[in-house]
Parts: sequence; C-alpha cells; structure tokens
Amino acid sequence: MSEMSKYHIKQTDKETLRNWFYLMTLGRAIDNKAPNYLKQAIGWSYHAPFAGHDGIQLAIGQIFDKNTDHLFPYYRDMLTAISAGLTATETILNGISKATDVAGGGRHMSNHFAKPEWNIHNVSSCTGNHTLHAVGVGRAMKRYNHKGVSISSQGESSVSEGYVYEAINGASNEKLPVLFVFQDNGYGISVPKKDQTANRKVANNFTGLKNLKIFHCNGKDVFDSMNVMTEAKQWIIENQMPAIVQANCIRMHSHSNSDRHELYRDEHERNYVMEYDPLAKYRRLLVRYERFTEDELLDIEAQVKEEVKKAHKEAMAAPDPDPGSIFDFVLPEPYPASKYPEGLHQYEGEPKKLIEGINETLKAEFRHNPDTYIWGQDIAHKEKGGIFNVSKGMQQEFGIDRVFNAPIAEDFIMGTANGMSRFSDKIRIVVEGAEFADYFWPAMEQYIDSSHDYWRSNGAFTPNVTIRLASGGYIGGGLYHSQNIEGALASIPGVRIVYPSYADDAAGLLRTSMRSRGMTLFLEPKALYNDPVASSPVPDDFEVPFGKAKIRLAGTDLSIVTYGNTTHMCMDVAKKLEETDGIHAEVIDLRSLVPLDEETILASVKKTGKVLIVHEDKVFGGFGGEVASIINEKAFEWLDGPVKRIGSTFTPVGFNRILEKAILPNVDKIYASALELIAF
Amino acid sequence: MKRTAILYSFNSQKTARAAKMVQEEFGGNLEEVNVEEITLNKFHDYENFILGVPTWFDGELPNYWDEFIPELEEADLKGKTFALYGAGDQKGYPENFVDAMGILAELLEKRGGKIIGFVPNEGYEFESSKALRGNYFCGLPLDFENQARMVKPSINRWVEQLKREFD
Repeated sequence: MSEMSKYHIKQTDKETLRNWFYLMTLGRAIDNKAPNYLKQAIGWSYHAPFAGHDGIQLAIGQIFDKNTDHLFPYYRDMLTAISAGLTATETILNGISKATDVAGGGRHMSNHFAKPEWNIHNVSSCTGNHTLHAVGVGRAMKRYNHKGVSISSQGESSVSEGYVYEAINGASNEKLPVLFVFQDNGYGISVPKKDQTANRKVANNFTGLKNLKIFHCNGKDVFDSMNVMTEAKQWIIENQMPAIVQANCIRMHSHSNSDRHELYRDEHERNYVMEYDPLAKYRRLLVRYERFTEDELLDIEAQVKEEVKKAHKEAMAAPDPDPGSIFDFVLPEPYPASKYPEGLHQYEGEPKKLIEGINETLKAEFRHNPDTYIWGQDIAHKEKGGIFNVSKGMQQEFGIDRVFNAPIAEDFIMGTANGMSRFSDKIRIVVEGAEFADYFWPAMEQYIDSSHDYWRSNGAFTPNVTIRLASGGYIGGGLYHSQNIEGALASIPGVRIVYPSYADDAAGLLRTSMRSRGMTLFLEPKALYNDPVASSPVPDDFEVPFGKAKIRLAGTDLSIVTYGNTTHMCMDVAKKLEETDGIHAEVIDLRSLVPLDEETILASVKKTGKVLIVHEDKVFGGFGGEVASIINEKAFEWLDGPVKRIGSTFTPVGFNRILEKAILPNVDKIYASALELIAF
Repeated sequence: MKRTAILYSFNSQKTARAAKMVQEEFGGNLEEVNVEEITLNKFHDYENFILGVPTWFDGELPNYWDEFIPELEEADLKGKTFALYGAGDQKGYPENFVDAMGILAELLEKRGGKIIGFVPNEGYEFESSKALRGNYFCGLPLDFENQARMVKPSINRWVEQLKREFD
C-alpha cells in the first residue's frame, strides 16, 4: 500500500470495503464448501481451490466491466467470477453441473465458471489456451474501435505453454488492448515453478517484447491488487497496448481435490502459506484501522452464511441436464443455401479454374459482408496472396485491416480466429490455417478446443470460422506438402469438413461456409488449383449446401464414392470401364464429409450392389472406413460383394516422384480394383 | 545508548533466533517487542530500533509488517534511528534477496527515520536486491539456508558496529 494509491485501508469508502469483504467471504465459503459436494457424491468432482489468490481475484472481477470488457477466467478463478458478478447460486450450479448452469448447462467440467452473455467466457481446461482468444477479442476491439479491455487470467505455470508466448507476442506486435494476469502460486500441480522457467517471476521472461508493460503486485493483498489492476487497465486503455500483471499468490491447499500437497510440501511450508491467508489479513486490517467493528464483520459473515445456504438449496433443486439433449449444439444450423438447395446448377458460362472459383468467391463475400476477415501465413504482401496466390488482390481491394499476414504460428492463427469471433456473432473469419494442410498440426489444440465451443457453452458461443487448407499430393511435395489430414479430423465432432474437386463446388461450398455460423474445414486439392480438369462454369451466386453429394456420373453396375483429387481419377476410370468393359459405374462426389450425405450413398448402393470407395488419404483409419461401415450397417442386404477401398498406403507420402506414385492412389489402381469388384 | 527496542515476530523461527543472538550481544539491554502487536503509540516509546524483517515469498514484507505500513506511512519518524536485519535465501530467491529490508528501510527514511548498520555485500551471491545501496545492504542479511555458519559471527560483528553507530 502506498500513500499515493487509489485504494487504501484508510481512504477507501466503507461501502466498497464492505462489498469486497462480502465477496471475499462468500467466495471463500463456497471454496471451503465445494469438497463436501464430492464427499456426498453430489458433484463438483473437480475443484481447484482459489484460497491464497483472494486479492488478485477480487481485483480482476472488480475492474471487469461487463458492458465494455471481455474476461477469460481459468479454472481456479472462482472468486474472480464471483467478484465479476456471478451469484452464489450460479457458482454452485456450475460446481454440481446442473442444466441451469450459466457457463454451459453442466456440459463443461466443474470449477470452470463463466457467463457468456456477460462476456465472461467459457474456456477450455487446456491451460492458458484462452490467451489466444483474449488476443482475438483484442484485435476485434481495435478493428471496431471499441473502448474496452480483454482480460485473460491464468496460473504462472501455464505460461510455459508455447501458445501463451504466441499470444503475448501477437498482442505486442499488433498493439492490442489485452491484460494478461499471471496468478503465481509457485506450483503447477506439484511442479515447483523453478522447473518451469529460469525467472522466478515468469512475467520477466517478456521484458524484451515491445509495446508491452509489465506490472507486479502482491496477489494476496487486496489493496495492492486493486491498485495495480486499476492502473494496468487504465494504462492499456490510454496506450492501446497490452500489459501483464504478475500477481504473487500462495496456494493454501492442494492443487485440486485429486492432488495431495502433503506429498511434496513439508509441514513448514504448508503452515507458512496458511499464515498468509489473504482473507484473514484483510479482515485484520479492517479491524485494526477501525473501518469495521468485530460485530459488523460477524454480521456480514452471518449474511454470507445465509446466502450460501439459500444458494445451496436452489442449486440442489435445479434440474439435471437431459440426456436427450446431447445432440443439441454440436453445430449450429448452417446458412440454408436455398438458391441452390441441391448444390446443382445448369449455368453454361466460361469455365473457371478452381483457384479462380475460390479467389472470386472470397472477394464476392468480402464485398457482400463488411464483417469478413482473412489472415494466414504469407497471405498478403503486395502482389503475393498466399502460397498459391489464392487470396491475390484481396488486400489491395479490402485493405490491411481485413486482409493481413499472420506470424508463422498456426495455433495463433486459429486461436485468434476463435477469439475475434467472440467479439460479435456477425463477424465471419476465413483463415489460411497453414501454408499446407500438413503444417496444420501445431494448431490442433485450438482446432479441438474450437470444435468444443458450441457444445460446451450449451449453444452460447460458436466460432464463425472457415479454415482453408491447401491439401493433398500429386505435386511431388513429400511429407508436409502432400499429405491429407481429413481422415484424422473427421472423428472430431463440431466442425464441418468439405473437400470440393471442381471450381463450382469450391465456390459454392466456400460461400455457404462463409455465410454460416460455426466452423468449417475447407480443404482445397492444391494439385487442381490450375488444372483444366477441375475447371467449370461458376454462377456468380452459387451455393452448395453442406451434406449434399453430387452424382458426377450415373451408373448401374458399380458405385464409386470419392472426393477431392481422386474424383477426377474415378471419372477417368468410369469412362474406361464403360468404353473398355461395358460397365456402367456411378461416380459420387461426396463434396462434404461432415455432414455426410448418407442418403445418396445408400441409394446408389441399393441400385448397384457394389461399392468402391476411393480417396487420397490413407486407407487405414481413413474416412472410407466410416463410409464402408455405414454401408455395412445400413445396406448390407443390397451388397453383392465386399465394400472395397482404395487410398494411399499406411506410410507417409514420399518426396521422390517414384515413391509418391507408389504411395498415392491413381487411375490404374482404381481401375484394377473396380474390375476385381465387378468380377466378384 | 538511548532506549532501544528490538522488534520481531515472536511467532517466527529464524528471525526470533537471530533476535536472541542480537539481544545476547547487547547484554540483554534491548526491549523485545512483538511486531505482530505493535501500534504507532508503542512505536513512539522508542528512539532506537532494531527490526527483524525477513523476506517472504518473492520479495515481500511479512504480513505483520505489511499490516503496520498504513500507520507508518503517516508517522513522523524524525529523530528515530533504525537498524534492520533480515533473513533471505540467496540460492532459492536470488532475484529478491532480502528485498523486505529494502522496502521497509525506504519507507522509514521517507518518514524521516535514519538507517544505520549498513553491511558490505561482499560474500553474498545473488541477482538483485531492493536492500542494496551501492555496494552495501541497508541492514544485515542473514542466510540461514545457505550460510548458516556465518549467521552468528556476522551478528556479532554487526552488533559491535551498531554499538558504535547508535546514539
């Protein structure tokens, strides 16, 4: 405390002091009560007590203004949430996972407090990953000239995560109004902070970054925390740059109820931290400086006790989640694409290349909707527009605020897209997720987390993001430039996956993706960008709904189910079968893997009795396995032979063309397999 | 020597042990006061002080000192003389070695107090310290963790120095 500080035990008005004491006592009462719910098998199976972080958590909640700010609390932030406005009942509803839990209706883990309607965000358990979301919100605040602060809170050990560095680096580089709070209690579960990084105060690892101010405070002390957080917020608003507040806390108890700190902290240390109980300290100050009498404080404590009792009763009486609701909010309803409900057209204009179809649709949608943004690595620099020039000319037309380069940090690209989307549901974002699809893996934690958002928040938030990735081989690119990732990703609910093989479908699916709420993975067969075989006339307003396959060639003897690069090979095989063997194959271009057009597949199987599934991704564990299983389950009696699959070998894709040819599917392999199946 | 108090937490371990050593070297002439119960009125009973100020956590005052700060901030300490000692851990907390002594000394000086008992920083290894004034600490650092054997001799030397420097 200093004489010049805004908040001071001798100067702060009594009502404010009372309010703080009430909130702190309320938080502590629930923190102490939480383990009882588990003991009684009621719930709250995950509880990370906040005791010892009282000062900083009170301060985070107090400086948060729900009308202007966004708050990303972490799993230990119970008092932060209560101080920001969550009621005791709302807190317990989250703890015991009730249907009326405002964070997510009991879908997310306990102790993950949130209230999305107040911009207190429902965040991942993946520690520190919301720093990227906070940066994304900060970017939106800057773009929309919004005067607020995006506040991210985390433990000091989670700063070890690489994406936290990406987030702070990005906020510093873009000069965004983001406040990163590190609540330092010295431990990441049982791991002492000396095992995390060399600086005892991890915030000091960031002293070399420009456009960033670092504050330190005693997170156990109410006044120091309030003063520093107030100053930091004000500094951010005045300077429009990010700041870090490192708050020294203590962890009075174990990490959580699944941890036993007596296994790694000796009695002396456990007593030492208990001695600096922040709530007890604040209480002593109130009495010592005669701001409250003992009786007054006892009265407040009695009121808190009553409130907790009442909240407990209300929460216990609240409804449990309905098991019938599990399919709600996996993905939002997409844009209806009602102009072309089947995703088909008869337009006969000049054929366009696949790359033109994508480029022109991006531009058309950017003209159509001013709240569209695109970023990625290498995406916009003078005449360059992406590694394959797909976004060429966009920055010139739409400006650097809407079309811009990202650092080489795939997780940052994805995470800030999620975050920016949180600022307003009207925003639509396209990211070039990586230079090549095979480089997308570093973004996986954000991809996975984003896939959870809509479901986890019980429909309160969905990231409106289209992830464009140049995918697949046949370019002699080898590992990291020629592989497919859709087989691995299709098992993750919450993201649509489309994979066009012609210019018109690429345009139509991209338009639908960009107009839809929710996340879509838009895979582009890069070998076809400029290949005339993928060219087609493209109506200006073309739309393709999700989950609508296209029968490229009708037939009666054999169904070939395919998508992406191999669609064209299958068309060649079908022609060869017809011309050489008199076999009429039906070629189904799936276009959309998630959702999948089962109806079209099953109808074809019932007609032909034989199915060949062809894709470029690996056969083993590939998407074809799912298609085959569906056919097996739903159309077995119509089958006249085994469902066969053609795809790449269960190896990486080699660089040398000889290796690539041996690994990837081609016309000869598909043709041979088709003949085998016909002969069965 | 004027009436001299030694203030430290009676509940502390190492700081209390050091206080006993200081008291012994002063021949039992110091008045021992529990800082956990100190008031400004009591504080004004004395002109010379020896303060036990260990550093807690990453460079903080112990809560009992911290809670006394709002009183000290408004106190007139002109004419009072302070000598500080404090426990710190050079290896475990090299970035904040005996910071608490520095934090308290700064406030005492700001309110008109005089600090004595400066100790050269030779023989200590650390990265930074708020208690450092040039090449001297503004008090006696005691490192029970890493230099336990130095504690007693350094207290003895320091007390001899204080006897000369206190009025």
